[in-house]
Amino acid sequence: MGETEAVEIDDILDDWFIESLKSYKDLHVYQLEHPTQIIEWTSGKTVCVAGYSSGKNEILELRLPLKLLADEKKSLCAERDFKVVHGGFSEGPVCCLTHIPGTRCVVTNDGLTSDLQLWDLGADDTDVIRKTGSLQGTSVSQAGSRIAARLSSPPQVLHGAQSSSVQLTQLGTGQTLYRLEVDSTEPLSSLKFVSETAFLASCCDGTVYLADTRTSAPPQASPPPGECALWWTDASAAPQCSVIRLSSSGQAVVSDLRNLGGALCRAQLDVQTSPRKPEDVTVAWAPALDGCFSVSGLSGLVQIYDSAGWRAEPQDASPLFQHAGHSVSSQHGDGSAPVFITTHVWHPERPRTVLSAASDGSIHVWDWVDPQTN
Amino acid sequence: MPEIKVTPLGAGQDVGRSCILVSIGGKNIMLDCGMHMGYNDDRRFPDFSYITQNGRLTDFLDCVIISHFHLDHCGALPYMSEMVGYDGPIYMTHPTKAICPILLEDFRKITVDKKGETNFFTSQMIKDCMKKVIPLNLHQTVQVDDELEIKAYYAGHVLGAAMVHIKVGSESVVYTGDYNMTPDRHLGAAWIDKCRPDILISESTYATTIRDSKRCRERDFLKKVHETIERGGKVLIPVFALGRAQELCILLETFWERMNLKAPIYFSTGLTEKANHYYKLFITWTNQKIRKTFVQRNMFEFKHIKAFDRSYADNPGPMVVFATPGMLHAGQSLQIFKKWAGNDKNMVIMPGYCVQGTIGHKILNGQRKLEMEGRSTLDVKLQVEYMSFSAHADAKGIMQLIRMAEPRNMLLVHGEAAKMEFLKGKIEQEFSIDCYMPANGETVAVTTNPSVPVDISLNLLKREMTLGGPLPDPKKPRTMHGTLIMKENSLKLVSSEQALKELGLNEHQLRFTCRVQLQDPHSDSDTLHRIYTHLKSVLKDYTIQHLPDGTVMVESIVIKVSSSAEDANAKVLLLSWSYQDEDLGSYLSSLLKKGLPT
Repeated sequence: MGETEAVEIDDILDDWFIESLKSYKDLHVYQLEHPTQIIEWTSGKTVCVAGYSSGKNEILELRLPLKLLADEKKSLCAERDFKVVHGGFSEGPVCCLTHIPGTRCVVTNDGLTSDLQLWDLGADDTDVIRKTGSLQGTSVSQAGSRIAARLSSPPQVLHGAQSSSVQLTQLGTGQTLYRLEVDSTEPLSSLKFVSETAFLASCCDGTVYLADTRTSAPPQASPPPGECALWWTDASAAPQCSVIRLSSSGQAVVSDLRNLGGALCRAQLDVQTSPRKPEDVTVAWAPALDGCFSVSGLSGLVQIYDSAGWRAEPQDASPLFQHAGHSVSSQHGDGSAPVFITTHVWHPERPRTVLSAASDGSIHVWDWVDPQTN
Repeated sequence: MPEIKVTPLGAGQDVGRSCILVSIGGKNIMLDCGMHMGYNDDRRFPDFSYITQNGRLTDFLDCVIISHFHLDHCGALPYMSEMVGYDGPIYMTHPTKAICPILLEDFRKITVDKKGETNFFTSQMIKDCMKKVIPLNLHQTVQVDDELEIKAYYAGHVLGAAMVHIKVGSESVVYTGDYNMTPDRHLGAAWIDKCRPDILISESTYATTIRDSKRCRERDFLKKVHETIERGGKVLIPVFALGRAQELCILLETFWERMNLKAPIYFSTGLTEKANHYYKLFITWTNQKIRKTFVQRNMFEFKHIKAFDRSYADNPGPMVVFATPGMLHAGQSLQIFKKWAGNDKNMVIMPGYCVQGTIGHKILNGQRKLEMEGRSTLDVKLQVEYMSFSAHADAKGIMQLIRMAEPRNMLLVHGEAAKMEFLKGKIEQEFSIDCYMPANGETVAVTTNPSVPVDISLNLLKREMTLGGPLPDPKKPRTMHGTLIMKENSLKLVSSEQALKELGLNEHQLRFTCRVQLQDPHSDSDTLHRIYTHLKSVLKDYTIQHLPDGTVMVESIVIKVSSSAEDANAKVLLLSWSYQDEDLGSYLSSLLKKGLPT
């Protein structure tokens, strides 16, 4: 027998593990061969992950474990594993990956230029993800592009690395259908559609632009809501229409999409305030829980906050729930760099199901219990 | 080119059983002989007609190797050896040999007694089959015959599971069976040395799976047990008396201690006896560390787990009971199940696969009303939980194993090649080796490049060196001349002279002579000169000499001219050449037969 040690049973019954029996309805922990910076839904049952090392990387489409998806038959299903349904190779890192709704196409960006790569995820008869083409970006910046898409026919993709170079491109023809008319060349932290034609372009400095692809009218601009050099944004679509902006110092500001300049409420989140890079942090509204949002990358944990009780005057906010799984079950030994969370996403329908990935290649799927309901 | 042939037996896309044929160096080996648990007819057996259309298999197989005791790997063994017919050796590890017959007998009972099937093996057949078994120890090379040798490696997965290395001459194959690369609680992880087999054979399903951690599976188990106990319910855990059962016991014991829980945990007496028996087997199979941390904490040292008495089943309040048999098909676990099934506060946790025909199988398929003996029905109101604890490798694990063994080729069975292009590409790219994916029933022939070591005599080597040119380089092969002597098991390359000397033979030189008649009225010496001129103009690349002794030489070929005795105007050319110049000599004679230009 080899030298790999069998793990002592006492090791697993640590505090976090015992606590998790009550704090999670479901918990699944996986180890990818290579860490991912992106998790993107490609259907209700599948997600894409991809490597971000400097050389060749894999793009994988994974099907969620059947046990997680089963509802009434959950207890009779023992299948807890991810299935790799499709895979492909990218010549460079994959820093951004967006699925084009209504198609089997995904668009990626390597974080180094503003060019995009187009991929076909493949159907049932094959397991290969093939590169089908590329789109040239327009900016000359060193940073990568942000990408967004919504259901449209024919398929289109919104992309850009800076506020001055956001454009809507038709996938089939490469034709530019729309350009955001903004002079400022601030790097973008995110791009997101809030309706079929309206989108939010968020800059790293905290400025956000609300524009509509149907009109050439100038977008609504909202300056940074506070003193800080680095911000992240997320917007939820109708009916909530909320925008949250989070600074690297942990300041969270919630506004209404229809009145971006006015802040509805503010809070100081319970996070560490060490220097960050734009790609470190993810902030996301929960699709099915009003007022709840999640943050990762500022504290080594995934934190979930409920902004429901927040007021206009800033106050300290404590997280409703924290997922410490990645740091607790870290694969890294002592002495090496601490594990940090690279990204997380909510399940589009299941209210409390979250997927999170970390720098050690771990990927967790967890369904948390609201501590307030007991 | 030498090749190794691999054929997974079975039809179409079915993945329910393992039975793989390997032909290597003239030997035929069967790897595993599993039963397909999804079929009720002959399709559950592997299709042995591939080996021979009728008659026994003994003459066609050199040996059969079984990787572990799961029925999808050994379930068809008694059928193969006793009903189809095979009298040769069957190899498996000691624990597998001990456990196989018990599982086979259980399986037989269920299939024949419960389901009333007829074309099935009998208890006697199982016994007769096991008589043919030769047990294997880990890392011990076993000579099956004077050319075929096998060696078992630790596979993890279940007690006694092995990966097997098969070698004939300088060709080899490794078959993994089922294995895991992350250590299990009581089993540790698979391990193999850098044996560089020509082919590594494994399951394709592993390669496309990313497994949930053991920790999370155990969490789910403890959570379900805890929730049931907290609401006052009872938990029944039907188990087979080994390994996994002990692991779950230790898990619960540790949890109870940590949480200060008071509800009783019991194990049934049938379990104790069997556990003791296997406990002894286990000792020799595990290493120091496992023995210390796991095996020593046996049934009798638990603080919170006590022996069960059947009257306890009626006690009020929460409790947990481990009972055999594992599929609820008979005995104590079934008795307890009948008592507890009607209460929705209770729970039954099935920790493994259940064979068709058992109650376990029915409730795992969602059946909530069961027909019992005497036509009574049982309403299943308790919660049924299916949990899988088996240790399997996954995509990451398979890459680790390839890194460990460094095979020259990879072969994955039980997958659809068309749907596995990415996986194939991944393995080919990362390791620069070919990846084969035969369909069931399809034979793949993998060309091997066995290296044959040959000694070269120093003289010969020196002679080659003096010929000049670049030093020998694997990328720039050079042709050399020598004689290969194969004596006993060694191969020697020597110069021809040395070989002749060793054989006690004299060297002979072959020379050919040929007479060509030409019409030519000139004098002998003029004709000779004309020949010289003619050849010089035709054979520009060759050394042609006109020698003072009255001959023309083309390389080593000698040409003489003399007058014909019968005809004054005719000349007779005598050509003579050594065997080495045969081609040129023949060419010259044809050329000169055509005559000389005027």
